[in-house]
Amino acid sequence: MSDAVIKVDGLWFAYKDNEYVLQDINIQFDDRPTAIVGQNGAGKTTFVKVLKGLLKPSKGDVWISGTNTKETTVAQLSKIIGLVFQNPSDQMFKSKVIDEVMFGPQNIWKDKKDKNFVYEQSIKALKIVELDNKLEEHPYDLTLSERKLLCLASVIAMDPKIVILDEPTIAQDRFSTKKIAGIIEELVKDGKVVLTITHDMDFVAENFERTVIFYQGQVLDDGPTEKVLSNEENVATAHLELPNLVRLAKALDFKTTPLTIDDFVEEFSTYKKAGD
Amino acid sequence: MKVLSLYVERDTFIHKLEPVTKLLYALVSIVITFLFPSITVGAVFVVISLFLAISAKVFKRMILLLNVVLIILLSIVIIQGLFYSKNATPVFKLWGLTFYKEGLLYSLLLIVRVVDMIISFGVLILTTRPSDLVDDLVQKGLSPRFGYVLASVLQIIPQMLSTTSTITDAQRSRGLETEGNLLQRFSAFFALLGPLVLNSLVEARERAMAIEIRGFGVEGKRTFVREIPETKADRWIKVALYVVFTVAVVWRIVLWIM
Amino acid sequence: MDNVSTLSAKISIEHLTYRYPFAKNRSLEDITLSIDAGQSIGIIGRNGAGKSTLCYTLSGLIPRFFHGKIEGSIKIDGEDVPTMSVEKLIRKVGLVLQNPFSQISGAKMTVYEEVAFGLENLGIEKDEMHERIDTVLKQFDLYKKKDENPFELSGGQLQRLAIASVLALQPEILILDEPTSQLDPRGTTEVFEAISQLKTLGITVIIVEHKFEKLVEYVDKIALLNDGKLVEYDTAEKIFSMPQIEDYGVGQPIYTALCKRMGLKKPNGYYPVSFNETVTLLNGLKMYE
Repeated sequence: MSDAVIKVDGLWFAYKDNEYVLQDINIQFDDRPTAIVGQNGAGKTTFVKVLKGLLKPSKGDVWISGTNTKETTVAQLSKIIGLVFQNPSDQMFKSKVIDEVMFGPQNIWKDKKDKNFVYEQSIKALKIVELDNKLEEHPYDLTLSERKLLCLASVIAMDPKIVILDEPTIAQDRFSTKKIAGIIEELVKDGKVVLTITHDMDFVAENFERTVIFYQGQVLDDGPTEKVLSNEENVATAHLELPNLVRLAKALDFKTTPLTIDDFVEEFSTYKKAGD
Repeated sequence: MKVLSLYVERDTFIHKLEPVTKLLYALVSIVITFLFPSITVGAVFVVISLFLAISAKVFKRMILLLNVVLIILLSIVIIQGLFYSKNATPVFKLWGLTFYKEGLLYSLLLIVRVVDMIISFGVLILTTRPSDLVDDLVQKGLSPRFGYVLASVLQIIPQMLSTTSTITDAQRSRGLETEGNLLQRFSAFFALLGPLVLNSLVEARERAMAIEIRGFGVEGKRTFVREIPETKADRWIKVALYVVFTVAVVWRIVLWIM
Repeated sequence: MDNVSTLSAKISIEHLTYRYPFAKNRSLEDITLSIDAGQSIGIIGRNGAGKSTLCYTLSGLIPRFFHGKIEGSIKIDGEDVPTMSVEKLIRKVGLVLQNPFSQISGAKMTVYEEVAFGLENLGIEKDEMHERIDTVLKQFDLYKKKDENPFELSGGQLQRLAIASVLALQPEILILDEPTSQLDPRGTTEVFEAISQLKTLGITVIIVEHKFEKLVEYVDKIALLNDGKLVEYDTAEKIFSMPQIEDYGVGQPIYTALCKRMGLKKPNGYYPVSFNETVTLLNGLKMYE
């Protein structure tokens, strides 16, 4: 575990008066890919917006790579922390895929002398999401899955150290979900800190080392995924579900918590009757 | 806010009247005050409308509504008091400017008309559920499709507006500056407007499908889940309004001929 | 696919082919299948396979809303869907879409009146209207919310409201197109509970869903679509046991994937698809200490 890239200290946040949507959050994020889970209204999206600087803490501080979010602008922060919003239609407005991806980089690197730099960054990002063959297409001609990947590319192109994904697998089929998992793996290999908000427990189990459960504006649990998502009591309190394999393992009285099929197969083989 | 409506729920006689009755009153009072270049006529209707507002227990809100147009009323007084074409008799001087009697009287006439317009329509809007007004109009012959548009716009606009904050967040996250010089604000405008319009169109399309499935386009008899009965009081008031209106029009024509 | 007579079927689709106006390719190609009254059918396939298009055609939105020409036939109770009168059609088929928010009419200020929307359009008498609304709100646990503004409800509540509003028109068939895709786990559970309600009411249910682990517990058969064609139409265990299921980009219940990896089949020769089946199978093979 390396140094904290994101440090949250005594964070309280209220949209109005004293109705605190986030209460006394103390948490740090390092390079481990982390999933943030919880039911709708638990405060996950608000939390992530505070990290992004879109909302300033009512009380407490948030440091992103050593910079306090209260002392800088959202535009400045977007160079180090990127957020892929849930709904592509909430941000797409250009008529070509390449233009859409270049929008972010153009904003944060408007002082760069090298005009090609922005273009090259964008192409690199599009290659990662495998949309580099559709540069000239109109974003609305892409399928829903492709549009989500386009938004992901728009953020990756800005080369932030931290990438946050808001519900990346909603309305996606298995094929697209696998693709996104692959991209996450690549980003992590590239040294990026990847956080995600999601309801897909299986997706969390397969791809995220650490899980944080939000419940009613507070952190209910935080730790290695196999520990957090096998705690039935916490999972039930937060109105979530166990990942399917974990549920199966518990029904079979497993000693460990398998997060992937490989884990499960390995554990199960120790139980097989002699002679099988 | 979820609904663009000023409706205040109360249990008064006015609230129980049919929406169309109140609408009729508003229209009649406005037409008559405009028909007669008489401050007295205007004042009479203002008093009646105020009385209605009080009995509907929405007086306080009415004052708030009037406050909104206070500036306009004030400017009418100033402009007409100073520059009315028929100005002849000076009344007083303020900061070196002369205010004339004719202009001030004329401005009073205009004010009384505007105030009556606001109060009489205000009584309608503050005491009537928007969907009830639409239902009543549809029952009396307004096209149901048009009625749907009127009724839904009051809730859909606030919904649309709430997505603007999400869109703003998304674009700011990509480094968009929303403050700054004119050029910056101009390019910010497109980044915000584009998704808003497109999103609204997509959602409108989905909604159109959803209501189609629930029989929106079906012709033929319609029924209404809300009771909007026409009481005896409604009928009497409507008759009275028609009579007053007819008398006023005839009287006006007579005055004009004389 | 058998050539069984489709005369008794509630829904019979024969050689259905359709292309959206201005589209390059056809969205539905020569689909033939039949669904009996009271059955629950799941439709699966990768994004773009034609699942939504099939739903729109079944509910009559194609060709009324989407235009374009339909080839082949699609009949409910022997009557042609594309040419049926709208009043008749919406009393036979209801459709619930993905986005909970865009299904509220927006013209009504309470949940109660929102359910009334469709009934008003059809000219249902007042007493009958009230009875239907009360019934349907209670059925889907929304009665306590009847005076609230629809826009105040959560995603799961809104989907239940959408189901209730459509059901108030008393269709015999209800189609749900990815009804849980935008919901959290609690909302998803609420919707699936509503779906089992539908089954006890004897309604024919057709549901497009990606959450297979849940889907298999509610449907009798599954139709697998790919590139607009009907690839397979069979029970869940038969479909997901197909070795080539991966080729269709559609995935499978995680339990099936697990058992395939371990080469463990049920006594009937197929792989388990549900949680319970898997527990039973694995428990039988596990060594107890």
